[in-house]
Amino acid sequence: MTLTDWTVVLPVALALGGTALCAVFWWRPVIQSAIGIVITLLMLVSAGVLVCTVATEGPQTMAMSGWPGPFGIVFAVDLLGAGLAFVTALVGLLILIYNFGDQSSDYRRVGYTPLLLAMLAGVSGAFLTGDIFNLYVWFEVLIIGSFGLLILGGKKAQLDGAIKYATLNLLATTFFLIATGLLYGLTGTLNMADLASKVAAVDNRALVNVVAALYLLAFGMKAAAFPLFFWLPASYHTPKPGVSAVFAGLLTKVGVYALYRVFTLIFPASDTIFADLLIWIAGATILAGGLGAIAQTDIRRLVAFTVVGGIGYMLVGLALQSPLALTGGLFYIFHSMLISTALFLAVGIAGRLGGSYDIAKLGGLYRARPAFAMMFLVVLFAVAGVPPFSGFWPKVVLVQASLAADAPWLAGVILVGGFLTLVAVARAFAAAFWDNGEEEPPRATHYGDRVGALMLPTLVIIGLSVLMGLAAEPVVQLAGQAAAGLSDPSAYIEAVLGGSE
Amino acid sequence: MNSLILRTVVPLLVSIMLVFSIFVLLRGHSLPGGGFIGGLIAASSLALYMIASGSQAVRKALVLHPMSIGGLGLLFAVFSGVPSYFSDVPYLTGLWYEPEFFHISLIATPVLFDLGVYLVVVGSITAIALALEEWH
Amino acid sequence: MIAIAVLSGFVLAVFAPFVHRLTKPLSGWVLAALPAAIFFYFVQMMPQIAHGETVRAAWDWVPSFGVTLSFYVDGLSLIFALLISGIGAFIVAYAGGYLKGHKDHGRFMGFILAFMGSMLGLVLADNLITLFVFWELTSITSFLLIGFNHDKPRSRRAAIQALVVTGGGGLALLGGLLLLGVAGGSFELSELLASGSIAENPYYLPIFLLVLAGAFTKSAQVPFHFWLPNAMEAPTPVSAYLHSATMVKAGVYLLARMNPILGGTDIWELVLPVFGGITLLTGTLLGLRQTDVKQILAYTTVASLGLLVMLIGIGTDVAITAAVLYLISHALFKGGLFMVAGSIDHSTGTRETVRLSGLGKVMPLTALAGLLAGLSMMGIWPFFGFIAKEVIYEATLHHDPRMWITAVAIIGNSLMLAAAALVGLRPFFGKLLQTPKEPHEGSPSLWLGALTLGVLGVVFGMMSHFSGEYLVAPMASAIGGRDIHTALHLWPEVSLPLALSGVTIFLGFIWFWQIDHLRSLLYAATQRLWGPDHGSDQFLAALVRVSKNLTGLLQTGRLNFYITFTLTMLALTLGIPVIAYGLLPTSIVLPDVALHIYGVFGLTVVGALALLFARSRLQAILSMGVTGFSVALIFLIFGAPDLAFTQFMVETLSVVIIALVLLRLPVDTYDRRDFLPSLRDAGLAISIGVAFTSIMMAIGAEPLDLTLTEYFAANSYLEAHGRNIVNVILVDFRALDTLGEIAVVLVAGLAALALIKVRDGILTSPDANRVTREDEA
Repeated sequence: MTLTDWTVVLPVALALGGTALCAVFWWRPVIQSAIGIVITLLMLVSAGVLVCTVATEGPQTMAMSGWPGPFGIVFAVDLLGAGLAFVTALVGLLILIYNFGDQSSDYRRVGYTPLLLAMLAGVSGAFLTGDIFNLYVWFEVLIIGSFGLLILGGKKAQLDGAIKYATLNLLATTFFLIATGLLYGLTGTLNMADLASKVAAVDNRALVNVVAALYLLAFGMKAAAFPLFFWLPASYHTPKPGVSAVFAGLLTKVGVYALYRVFTLIFPASDTIFADLLIWIAGATILAGGLGAIAQTDIRRLVAFTVVGGIGYMLVGLALQSPLALTGGLFYIFHSMLISTALFLAVGIAGRLGGSYDIAKLGGLYRARPAFAMMFLVVLFAVAGVPPFSGFWPKVVLVQASLAADAPWLAGVILVGGFLTLVAVARAFAAAFWDNGEEEPPRATHYGDRVGALMLPTLVIIGLSVLMGLAAEPVVQLAGQAAAGLSDPSAYIEAVLGGSE
Repeated sequence: MNSLILRTVVPLLVSIMLVFSIFVLLRGHSLPGGGFIGGLIAASSLALYMIASGSQAVRKALVLHPMSIGGLGLLFAVFSGVPSYFSDVPYLTGLWYEPEFFHISLIATPVLFDLGVYLVVVGSITAIALALEEWH
Repeated sequence: MIAIAVLSGFVLAVFAPFVHRLTKPLSGWVLAALPAAIFFYFVQMMPQIAHGETVRAAWDWVPSFGVTLSFYVDGLSLIFALLISGIGAFIVAYAGGYLKGHKDHGRFMGFILAFMGSMLGLVLADNLITLFVFWELTSITSFLLIGFNHDKPRSRRAAIQALVVTGGGGLALLGGLLLLGVAGGSFELSELLASGSIAENPYYLPIFLLVLAGAFTKSAQVPFHFWLPNAMEAPTPVSAYLHSATMVKAGVYLLARMNPILGGTDIWELVLPVFGGITLLTGTLLGLRQTDVKQILAYTTVASLGLLVMLIGIGTDVAITAAVLYLISHALFKGGLFMVAGSIDHSTGTRETVRLSGLGKVMPLTALAGLLAGLSMMGIWPFFGFIAKEVIYEATLHHDPRMWITAVAIIGNSLMLAAAALVGLRPFFGKLLQTPKEPHEGSPSLWLGALTLGVLGVVFGMMSHFSGEYLVAPMASAIGGRDIHTALHLWPEVSLPLALSGVTIFLGFIWFWQIDHLRSLLYAATQRLWGPDHGSDQFLAALVRVSKNLTGLLQTGRLNFYITFTLTMLALTLGIPVIAYGLLPTSIVLPDVALHIYGVFGLTVVGALALLFARSRLQAILSMGVTGFSVALIFLIFGAPDLAFTQFMVETLSVVIIALVLLRLPVDTYDRRDFLPSLRDAGLAISIGVAFTSIMMAIGAEPLDLTLTEYFAANSYLEAHGRNIVNVILVDFRALDTLGEIAVVLVAGLAALALIKVRDGILTSPDANRVTREDEA
């Protein structure tokens, strides 16, 4: 086995090793930060190699501990998983850099880096694994890691948000666990590729549907879909924006990914009632996100609601299940990972500059920092799906897919959702960036010396997003290839079960 | 707690429990035991020591910060999968090397892994206990 | 090359602030070089297009979605491109003088150039999606430009309003365009135009309505007209460029472009003239109500757009020719008049018509420009506007219901004549009145553009043959989808249209003469009326209110509610299938085990019951402990000593810790719940419990697949060197799970440490006396 083969497991192993090392050097935050940067860089490289390998050679696998699937745990990486792992590493690296500009070194003194690395390990593991119980384990890792990050700082608002977050997410994961137990009872296997055929072979379809419904509930909650999305706007705005950014970019996508994987591979939604159910859920989520965004005065909560709305679009792709729809949904996932992160990072900078997160209290940032204001506007327009930024293409595709699937009302919902987000975004920009007229433009607080560390990762992500919008074709091709792998998982199954090592 | 009885008895008790915990760890593979249970026993013994002699004594005895011990444990566990690279098998494959002690081959990756589990449990629980004890 | 013409605007826009800084006093002229160059590039295409050829250029953009960056130059797009680039050049130069000394001058130039690029892209686009992209870009740049004076709340409101209205329409348009692509079989306009009308297609009606929504919002047709007068908050160069000559015409462009594909049907010929006519009248009447020059011009622009829509709706050869004539002449005179208005404002400090008079003596060149433009707008011979009016009447007279349409046209045109006189003539003649600032002639940048446009208004009129062949015919043919050649006569024939023109002029002067009476009449009439402008504010406010209420339904902020809601969803998710599929157990088969094991089961149930009836929290926790211990016993009895031991230890630890923590918390020792909530919670608990039990019994009834169990049993000793299968699974078969789990333990430790050490933002280090304060953010 070459090092290239090992890239299947390296992101996770590196992240866990990094967590461990940081714990070993518990009393030296500087060393921890260095470890963090090195590890995420290595993760990025290995994930990049993995993407290339999967793109050219098809799904890659590794049977952990040497036991072949379906007996042991198999990591099975198709293009979707590899791509997501890559973006995860990228976001992780950029967030670490952003954190340097966040002057509270106290965070790093109490374990910010290992907590972040642990979370990255969980997220990467979730994207790379091919075993459904192993998926549960990684969910646990990322929940506890994110919980730790949430409470760093110990302020009352944070603890409130953290408790809500932890309780509700643990509930969801418990549902997941129970569903997995039931599934094992039905089929006798935990390997996802194996489950694909075993589930199809079960006679009692009623039981299969019950278990699938429970999975939908569990992952739907984790993904912040309607109507169980309330935990997200209740908690995401409480920690520092650097932390919110990585949450928004990565955590909900794990839930969406789980839905995509489970409902294309194990319970193909095309032949059950879940397709209809998912369409309704998707539409409702889009509207809930849009309306919620308009209702907010805290700019962080506004962004949180746009994240919720975005989930709806991703679910549309899954609900329609056509290759076009899946391509649109996957494109949206990649777009959302970048844009949600960028939004919170930019909000963080805005909050520092303006001294508040309340839209009514902010103001005059445009006059003070015009370049930053334009940057922020780009991000806001991207999230509203305005062309030619990255949010536009998946929206167009999803509308087309809806029309093709004889669901014009869904196309309407998508467009209305875009309208609502546009209204929310325009009002927020006008109130927060343009002058209030009454007061002096605020003097920048805490902006000074570490501004580069704050701006650089933000700019990189925004740049990538703009690039994705202007030069969309390569990403579309990638998404299309990944979508094809989802519609027809035979290559995936073959790689896992047919002669894996 | 400033009890003469405790201060006399506890060190003895702790030593026995620690040895027992290692025994439980090593025999885990063929009889009830293993890393988790061994670690829990060891952590309990250290908690007992802490009640008797105070947190500073425990910290001095441990030498390393308990979190470092935990981290070392996780590191061992992660690393136990690395030798497989050199044997051309997947990550975390159990590799057993020749010399046997008491009919148990000790030079083996699963042993290292279990040791890692043990250390993680000890380190984490002790860290929390000590921090709680020192909380004002 | 065409792409360069379009995209260069954007590139220069980015650098504009720097160029401005470098070439401070002359930046307007310097930056105007680009639009001028683009203009001449398109001019040299004129002969080619006049002969009926078209030019197309295409590059792949996102081929997977059928989106190409393609551009198509025919009569329609060429004339628009000429207007956009030509007027744009003058506007850029004008802005250089108008905004002299403004802090954000460079930025403004950038925005204007970006807008120009967007507009060019819009009219030249061949691919439907590409067209939409540029459509939205014009909305965005317009947003930035309207809100340029963002310290004024009115500017902010106007900018948001414009964005929301045109953006909303834009989204409808997107739906329409996508449907059109599907219905017509291609996303390239050139191909759609070649295949002709899709009137027979089942999707025709939705496409028509959606495209109409986009066009009407952009071109300020009633009832979406209100944003345009509000957009006058923008600096005058913006009003002159966007809101008269170019951007608002985008909707008209769209309708014109879609005419061969969507036009000619009954509904087209009904809806467009009706709405266009209403808009024409509304615009002129509301315009004469105003006293601010810019507002008058804005409202008359609305009216003109209505007139254009009406003509396109009529759709005959003559009507299309009329539309083309009017479009071009309107761009010339309106752009000119706006620039004149701006010059007046800039030099006198006021825009109120009642205060402006006699400026001709002090601002002769501006006056001349105003005069020329005004006369063209009034439709006086030999201006281009006159020729346009003639053909308009010819068109209305030959289309049913001719009386109504012609009447509307006459009224509208005459009112517009009054407005034109008000703006273009009155300020310059008569006695010189006192104004806030001392009036003076501005720099050339301020009057050169207006003057040129005014002169062109005469020139095109006099060179009617040239205009007809090179400007009008190609555009009309492109719109009509067929060859249209109407001969334009400078010297009018004696005919009904000429007579009607005379009537119009006569009426117009009456309105003008009685303008004050007219104004007060209109004011009184519309005083109490509720208009869409107010409506849009109400709509937005209502939207925010509804959003707050709806969101508040689920987002209550109380964890109690969240948990109950989640569990309700669980109950539904499980309960509905259980009942629907009939999974409730019909018979209970007791397991075949020894009696003492039943005792252990019993103990578990006792623990659960004790929990329910516990009288204090401590009791409840201890009861939970009892249940946990019983489960551990079950593990022990059924052959999993490792699990049992771990369960014992963990159960003990948790009970102790929770009890300790609870004793320190200031909570009631009792869990007080009222009857109804208790009932609800009981119902939830019971239904979930029953559902899970039924499901598990049903699954238990199915044969269990033991493949994994057998494999583990077989390989545990031989391959994995261990007889304790549980431990072997933990550290070998499924070692990766364990790796993840111990990571969880470690991270839990980290999180606990973080909680203990940092409270309320303060780091308390156990071994130091110092306390570090967190930064606020």
